[in-house]
Amino acid sequence: MPEDNNNRIEEGSVFLEIDHLRKVYITDESQTVAIEDLTLDIKKGELISIVGPSGCGKTTILRMIAGLLEPTSGTITIGGKECSEPGSDRGMVFQDFALFPWRTVRKNVEFGMEVAGVPKEERRERAEKYIELVGLKDFADSRVHELSGGMKQRVGIARAFVNHPDVILMDEPFGALDAQTRNLMQAQLVRILEKTEQTIIFITHSVEEAVFLSDRVVILTKRPATIKEVIDIPWPRPRDRAGPEFVALRKRILEELEKENVMNG
Amino acid sequence: MSTVFGWTYDKHNKNHRMFRKMVIAVTSLVCFMFAWWDISVLANSAAIPTPIDTWNALVNLINEGDTITGRSVWDYIGSSMKTYLSGFGLALLVAIPLGLVIGYFAVVEEFATPVIEILRPIAPIAWAPIFILAIDYTIGPILVVFIGIFFPLLTNVVFGVKEIDTKLIDAARTLGASSSQVFTKVMIPSAVPYIMNGVKIGLGIGWMCIVAAELYAPQLGGIGFYLNEQATAGFWPAAFAAIAIIAVLGLLTTGLAEVIHKKLVNRVGMTSA
Repeated sequence: MPEDNNNRIEEGSVFLEIDHLRKVYITDESQTVAIEDLTLDIKKGELISIVGPSGCGKTTILRMIAGLLEPTSGTITIGGKECSEPGSDRGMVFQDFALFPWRTVRKNVEFGMEVAGVPKEERRERAEKYIELVGLKDFADSRVHELSGGMKQRVGIARAFVNHPDVILMDEPFGALDAQTRNLMQAQLVRILEKTEQTIIFITHSVEEAVFLSDRVVILTKRPATIKEVIDIPWPRPRDRAGPEFVALRKRILEELEKENVMNG
Repeated sequence: MSTVFGWTYDKHNKNHRMFRKMVIAVTSLVCFMFAWWDISVLANSAAIPTPIDTWNALVNLINEGDTITGRSVWDYIGSSMKTYLSGFGLALLVAIPLGLVIGYFAVVEEFATPVIEILRPIAPIAWAPIFILAIDYTIGPILVVFIGIFFPLLTNVVFGVKEIDTKLIDAARTLGASSSQVFTKVMIPSAVPYIMNGVKIGLGIGWMCIVAAELYAPQLGGIGFYLNEQATAGFWPAAFAAIAIIAVLGLLTTGLAEVIHKKLVNRVGMTSA
């Protein structure tokens, strides 16, 4: 989109810095270290996905970036500004959609602009564009409960993208969808990415999804999670899931994850 | 599918389902009438008039009004409705904002809970003599109705706020909503089905309260007053007619609330568990 409002930061340069992040969950009886010394730089305009063994704390990282959860120590900064509170500079897409059921599709997409005080006309115009981008033009005035799971998540995506945040945090966004819908949604996300310069941090259980979408894949260790390996994927998109390179890389990442799970068990 | 008296019932046909429901409901009412009639005849007591006697008294009441005071039935119904609606409106005005605040702010809840738990179990009627004699015979019954509706409504609103899907709050916050915007744009709309649930429960309790309250406020009139007056004079069919009127008014108000609730739930596609 031409009106990307973060053009002051050049594409490809580091702008989101996670520095020595640590998260300990404390209850009356015990302390659990969820994240241990995690440092990662995210570049403007890249899609970086995070994979790791189940329950290793992927969502915890995302929630800390969103400002919904406070780190125990370490910092997360965007353009030098610390992410201690949630803000419209970091959009989020949720696994279970988290759409407002009393609002129509259009009104869901307009929510961020509404709370920011964007005038009605502009709100409508921008929402219209993104609803069209995700292919829901005919459903703009539908209620959320009338939509299928895939359609709901497309609303979730439009609702986050329409605000042009610095980064969009996607928490297993296609995890609740069936395999076929999932593939369609991935392909659609690739198409949307062609039209925007959106930076995305993407959490997934699916290694195939990570390889299909990402510029870089971060593999986490088992809990306490820290970075095991970061893999660059410089291939153009859309990618061929059946290509030999694709299959080989997928296999390699799976093997790395399996090692973590074995050590876990 | 099953066949009853040569008629084939298809449970996937909406009209069939409606018809089935109606037949059962009518049968139930007819059984009730017969049971009432039986008891009346068997008891052979003036205090249990037959349905016919009651019906005649009801027709008489509608045509002639109260033969003792000369006031019309509409006067009484109007008076009861006025008290009822005032108490109900007052309960809405107080319980909904208070419930939202209690549900949202833990410290307010911790502060309010002891007081609420002390007051809640007290039967609303217990307040009637105090409110009516100490305050006023018009405001007193309104306050009794208010108390009756207030607690179930408050409990439901608090519950509604607490039951909110926290993901929706997270979503709103990541979309840039401030705390007050989260409150007005997320908490309130998602509590609406629960509020309606509380309203429905409260409306029923309101009718129970008003009739009892009117017993203590003869100056006010109202259906409860009429009931007491006729029973005291030994005009049992008229007293039963008063009960019938209360039943119909109660049905109408809760029915109306039910319709509004259904519309609302369909509209937003949400349910209150």
